[in-house]
Amino acid sequence: MSAAVGMIEVEGVGGIVLAADAACKTAAVDLLGWDSIGGFTTVFFRGSVSDVQAALKSGEAAAGQISSQVVAAPLTAPAPDCLQFVTTPIGPPRQYPKQALGLIETRGYGVHVGTNDQMTKAAAVEVFRVLTVHDRVVCSLIVGDIGAVREAVAVAKGLLREEENFLGAAVIPQPLVEVLQAFGPEA
Amino acid sequence: MASTSALGILETRGMTALVGATDAMLKVAQVDLCGRHGVGSGWVTVAIQGEVASVQTALATGREMAESLGEIITSQVIARPQMAAMQTMPHREEITAVPLGGQALGILETQGLAPLIAGADAMVKGAAVELAGWAFIGGALLHTVIRGDVAAVQTALELGRQAAAQVGPVHASLVIPQPDPGLGPLMPPPPQAQGVTTGALGVVETTGYTCAVAGADAMVKAADVEVLRLTIGSGGRIAVLAQGSLDAMQAAVDAGAQAIGRLGETNAVEVVSRPSLDVMACFGGLAEAPAPILAGRAMGLIETRSTIALVKAVDQMLKSADVEYDGSYKVGYYLTAAVLRGDVGAVQVALDAGAVEGAKYGEVVAVHLIPYPFAELEGRLSHLHE
Repeated sequence: MSAAVGMIEVEGVGGIVLAADAACKTAAVDLLGWDSIGGFTTVFFRGSVSDVQAALKSGEAAAGQISSQVVAAPLTAPAPDCLQFVTTPIGPPRQYPKQALGLIETRGYGVHVGTNDQMTKAAAVEVFRVLTVHDRVVCSLIVGDIGAVREAVAVAKGLLREEENFLGAAVIPQPLVEVLQAFGPEA
Repeated sequence: MASTSALGILETRGMTALVGATDAMLKVAQVDLCGRHGVGSGWVTVAIQGEVASVQTALATGREMAESLGEIITSQVIARPQMAAMQTMPHREEITAVPLGGQALGILETQGLAPLIAGADAMVKGAAVELAGWAFIGGALLHTVIRGDVAAVQTALELGRQAAAQVGPVHASLVIPQPDPGLGPLMPPPPQAQGVTTGALGVVETTGYTCAVAGADAMVKAADVEVLRLTIGSGGRIAVLAQGSLDAMQAAVDAGAQAIGRLGETNAVEVVSRPSLDVMACFGGLAEAPAPILAGRAMGLIETRSTIALVKAVDQMLKSADVEYDGSYKVGYYLTAAVLRGDVGAVQVALDAGAVEGAKYGEVVAVHLIPYPFAELEGRLSHLHE
């Protein structure tokens, strides 16, 4: 069986986290991993042609919450070498508690130190991972109860409102374990 | 060891500003350097820790210093930081201190590798200083560090600035007569290679992998020179470094620049006659890739500003002709390239098909066919490393 592959590419990295979650919830597709080329990142998933089509559509819409530039495309019968472009494959299965995921994306790293500190002080959340994808884009992922994550993200938005380098924020109330595996800390 | 009741963050554009500011901060108050992080395009961050008042004093001084040397992106004092939240922050990961010794320190920062190498060579030849390494921080900003007596460092840096300015833009430079020992984590990695004596070192700097390979190919075909490596210079830049006799090198870099001109942009060209051993050890290490399986066959390169465009192009190429996938190379700064091998005709057909397919999904920056790649170049190409 030759499964199709779906790809969604955005500027920054928060967009593909949202896209991966939406895509895998919409249709029977497996998350393969992602790739970054310094500025743009791409998420890859695999499934039947029609599943991939459906997943691409919802993934593209979800990425639009945070990223202005989104490209989505299927490989209906990918040449095997094409899978080598998945340079950050999804990690091994891990146990995660049921928790919400919050994303804060900006250009520049310095502001994340302050906002992550304020978020963890304001609500019972943990910093899950800080993703750096060059051309200055930094995305902090925080986890906790849905109420706490909402509160923390609201605090961060308040702090960053005046910041010209603030790119966007979003909350995934119930992220898939695969998404945490793909974008969570290594090992 | 200062206590950690507060955290200070300073983010600048340019490494000279960051090193200068950090040195001032460590000297003015009881604070320690506790982290560094770079996020590309020249933006670099340093974290310090200490008592609230010390961090405030330090940061005020650091800001002044950074402003005089470059541009500040962010600075803030975080009193009573949540240490649990800081554990997962990337700035804590990359602290490896390079020992400084008791000497003065000089930094030369340029836009591009060619001016940096020209400057480094002039510095080492002009005064009794030692090259301590080089690094890039994105946005084509690169810096090199020298060490020696104060007077030697001052003299060398002046000569280095002048030499670099002839080749490309100088971003900043700084002499620190008595650097704080805590600056170690901001120092570039020390030179790895063994310096060798050679007639000339040629540098042809361009943007993108396709242009770099096309340039390197033209260089080895035009004259008897040896390509040492394709060095990434950040901001999409790649510099082809080659060694040979001065005459041969002059011919080779001209041919390289000309070949690149047909595809894209040559950012800088420089021939260093009789390069110093230090410069060769610092910049001229030999790239060694595993033995290429597809050596000798025609080579097709395609480069895009999108992973999707590249994957679609590669998929189309592999299906449209009898070609094999040889590897890919991420240049950074939105650029990514793939290499395919096969017979000349097949590669040509594949490239045409791939360029059309890729352009539907993103920008195709360059497409290039090398019908007969020289064996000298095999094993020096960066896509084989990945």
